[in-house]
Amino acid sequence: MTFESIWEQEERQGLQRRLRQDYPAWLRRRRQKRRTAGGLATVAAIALFAAVALYNNTLTTKDYESVYCNRAGTTDAQWVALAGKTLTRAMI
Amino acid sequence: MKRLVLILLLPLMVLAACSHKQEELPLYRQYAGRQDLTAAQVNGFRLNDTVTVDVVFLVADDSAAWQRLKEEMDIRASEGVTSWMGAINEPACRVKRDVRPAWRAMAIHADRTVAFYRVEDSIQYKALLDYQLDNKMTNTTL
Repeated sequence: MTFESIWEQEERQGLQRRLRQDYPAWLRRRRQKRRTAGGLATVAAIALFAAVALYNNTLTTKDYESVYCNRAGTTDAQWVALAGKTLTRAMI
Repeated sequence: MKRLVLILLLPLMVLAACSHKQEELPLYRQYAGRQDLTAAQVNGFRLNDTVTVDVVFLVADDSAAWQRLKEEMDIRASEGVTSWMGAINEPACRVKRDVRPAWRAMAIHADRTVAFYRVEDSIQYKALLDYQLDNKMTNTTL
């Protein structure tokens, strides 16, 4: 065996040994990162779902969703009341 | 990573689906710039436990403005309440009762007001009629 072939063989074996030693640690770190990200995503999703549920709840407890008006000085309640009143006054 | 994005996107999609109604209707936008009218829009006015309707109001400031609005809406009567079904893109244009979507329009001459109820389907139209009947009956009892 030449010096070069012995050198190459040692280099290969050294690399393989290092890979064998480092791979489990790398795998552990990757699992840890994924677990953390998954946990954070779940918490964020729960928070978002809660926000959506609360938002929907405010919609269902109100008699309307929102009001727009081109003039200042009017109130939402005034228009909502008019929406009901108009129907009772009109002919079917 | 894909699962992560899905988990975060799902509630946002639900939120977007829930909030799509909260926008100005073209009819309101068309009249919001008028100086002689008060225009208002009520989003999601509740008719019963499950059905809501969008309403647009046009209120004339004075009799001249009311006259103009009546001409624009092709209203010939001058007292009481005038009601019709209007085309969704042109509320003044009368359409048959079963056309959907359409506007259920009511002009109240005494108040110089025209109210437009956006009817998307037969469920909404029935709920609208039920609301009218229920409240009329209540008023009669009182």
